[in-house]
Amino acid sequence: MLELERLFRAVYLWLEKIFGNLGIPHVWFDLFTMLLVAGVILAVMSIAAMFLVWWERKIGAHFQVRFGPMRTGWHGWLQLPADGIKLILKEDTTPAAADKPVFLIAPIIIFVASLLAYVCLPFGKGLIVRDLNIGILYILAVTTFTVVSILMAGWGSNNKYSLLGGFRSAAQIISYEVPLTLSVLGVVLLTQSLSMVKIVSAQEHVWTWNIWKQPLGFLIYLTAAVAEVNRTPFDIPEAEQELVAGYNIEYSGMKWAMFFFAEYTNLVLVCGVAATLFLGGWNGPILPSWVWFLGKTLFLIWVVMWFRWTFPRVRVDQLMSFGWKFLLPLAFLNLILTGLFA
Amino acid sequence: MNIVRTTLDGIYNLLLGMWTTVKYLFSHAITLQYPKERWPMPERSRGVVALMTDEKTGKLKCIACEMCVRTCPTAAITMEPETDETGKKQRYPRVFEVDEGICIFCGLCEEVCPVKEKAIKMVNLYEFSVYAKKELIYDMEKLTRIGKGFK
Repeated sequence: MLELERLFRAVYLWLEKIFGNLGIPHVWFDLFTMLLVAGVILAVMSIAAMFLVWWERKIGAHFQVRFGPMRTGWHGWLQLPADGIKLILKEDTTPAAADKPVFLIAPIIIFVASLLAYVCLPFGKGLIVRDLNIGILYILAVTTFTVVSILMAGWGSNNKYSLLGGFRSAAQIISYEVPLTLSVLGVVLLTQSLSMVKIVSAQEHVWTWNIWKQPLGFLIYLTAAVAEVNRTPFDIPEAEQELVAGYNIEYSGMKWAMFFFAEYTNLVLVCGVAATLFLGGWNGPILPSWVWFLGKTLFLIWVVMWFRWTFPRVRVDQLMSFGWKFLLPLAFLNLILTGLFA
Repeated sequence: MNIVRTTLDGIYNLLLGMWTTVKYLFSHAITLQYPKERWPMPERSRGVVALMTDEKTGKLKCIACEMCVRTCPTAAITMEPETDETGKKQRYPRVFEVDEGICIFCGLCEEVCPVKEKAIKMVNLYEFSVYAKKELIYDMEKLTRIGKGFK
């Protein structure tokens, strides 16, 4: 079987030997491996983002009984490399009235924040960058930076639509962060640990997956996660009909691509975390662990896309009352029940 | 207990919607990949005007009676019969031009044609856009060529 962690370990040992033979201090070796791992994550995420854009277009098309991209390559798979090249070559404009530093920094922050969370996501058995003992807390904390970036983008663009989109997004993400965290707490209570690896190890078999013990928690997590990543039916920050495109309306070229990249990496992240917390992460028979993790994550992403092509967008007041008056009490109820019976 | 019923009802409706969409996901797309695939044209569809050739003699069926010229509501057809040395009109055209740009595809020319099985026909060619208006004036050679392609 194709066990990636053995390959990575072999590469690590090989590099260590080369560095040892050259007589370079171990600090430099550590730094080099860190950069290498970051590069690998970045590359994987870029490919994932490109694949997901294509996949979303294809799935959305088939939900609407269309074909989607068909002309560039087999079933349009070259569409995304082509779009990527276009975005790189495109003129990068800054509005004259924009707050230039804020406008410039916003996409960088969202890009970095969306990548930082992958430090603690276990892609497979032993395929985790750093197993922090506060892993899930770290992920929840780091992803909150997204709000700052979106608010900065909305403010820095100096455009009424993007400002409204930024405000809406901030209100939405902060509101839904609360039930999201509370639903995660149920799992943490069961596992007695915040470490992602320990959470996965606790759900070795299918019948020990947390989804059977936390069905309500899973539903709350999924709902809040869809709102966190600003996707339909909670995509009011970029509601096309009212706000044109929301906070990223003034962005073009590579800066816009960074927002797009962050959107899809965040989607992968919330689905990956859901697979880890509730669906047993990398655990599964026969196939290598990373294939199981990938399969579960892709399935959840497909479900989120299914939501997108089924449900209409909610209003702002509906969104707020649903989050605070329904989802939050439900999350508390779930937490209390878990505390009582677990 | 009203909130419980509303919630369950809402969940039921959401699942119903998702079931409906997922059925469409696994149904076959109805899109026609246009330049690659085309709808078959109906038998009596009216496209470009064309001149038909007699298969036995290889000459145009047209007898230069000028019925189509007279009946054309937009005067899209220009035709001059061939003349011999004495100036007598012959029974075949010398010049035959159709301005497809002003043709309204009414089919009157075909209807009025006295020749058996029609010497002028509206074939089912409908993709004939060009960059210049001038190119829409089809001369006799082009009309014959189109007529040969579409029996």
